[in-house]
Amino acid sequence: MDGIDTGLSGSTDTLQRIDSPWDVVLWNDPVSLISLVVRVLRKVFGYDKAKAERLTMEVHNDGKSVVWTGEKEKATAYAVALHGYALHATIQPSA
Amino acid sequence: MSEPFHRTATGIAVDLPDELRRWLLGEAEAAGADVVTIGDPVHHRLLGPIDLSADHDDPLIELQRQFAVEGPLERFVATAHATLLSEDEAEEWIRAFQLMLAAAAARLAVQTDDDVAALKEEAAAELTTLQAGISLLIDALDA
Repeated sequence: MDGIDTGLSGSTDTLQRIDSPWDVVLWNDPVSLISLVVRVLRKVFGYDKAKAERLTMEVHNDGKSVVWTGEKEKATAYAVALHGYALHATIQPSA
Repeated sequence: MSEPFHRTATGIAVDLPDELRRWLLGEAEAAGADVVTIGDPVHHRLLGPIDLSADHDDPLIELQRQFAVEGPLERFVATAHATLLSEDEAEEWIRAFQLMLAAAAARLAVQTDDDVAALKEEAAAELTTLQAGISLLIDALDA
């Protein structure tokens, strides 16, 4: 028997996308101080100083860094928190 | 001259000349006005989309982000003449200075290190003054 078109295939894709992990990407900018970025990463994500410094240097040297990966709702909240410090953050489905 | 910000037993003491406070107020008010102006580079820089995989961000998220940007600027304006800040107020000043810095950079079309290097002295001073304020506030809070 041929499969029945339930019309749900698109919805399934959407569900899979919501369940899949999302990245918070922090982008370099030429005016934010390294000390400020380290401080914000520690404050927003609770990272220790060494991890915050490593991620900050990735942003500085590579132009961007994935600073957190997890569920979309939390990723969005983290990106909003980073924007509250004028840091340029975006979210994207994790590769 | 004493340190502009230093920790005391009751909070972060602020010792800024009136002229500098007035300048900072002007920066905060300009950032607050520009960020709500659709099409302004400051609006694009501070409230541009965060989900690059979608056509547009969720309106609720956009609203949260607008509050996240406007709140610190408004709280800075309300305390701009203070001589003693609580820790929370000092943290709000850091956020406000950082927002003013990003707004100034957007206004000056600064996107790269080369753009910063090419700025005229007065424009560069606008950025370095705000950067110095952020650095000194961080030092005072961490002391």
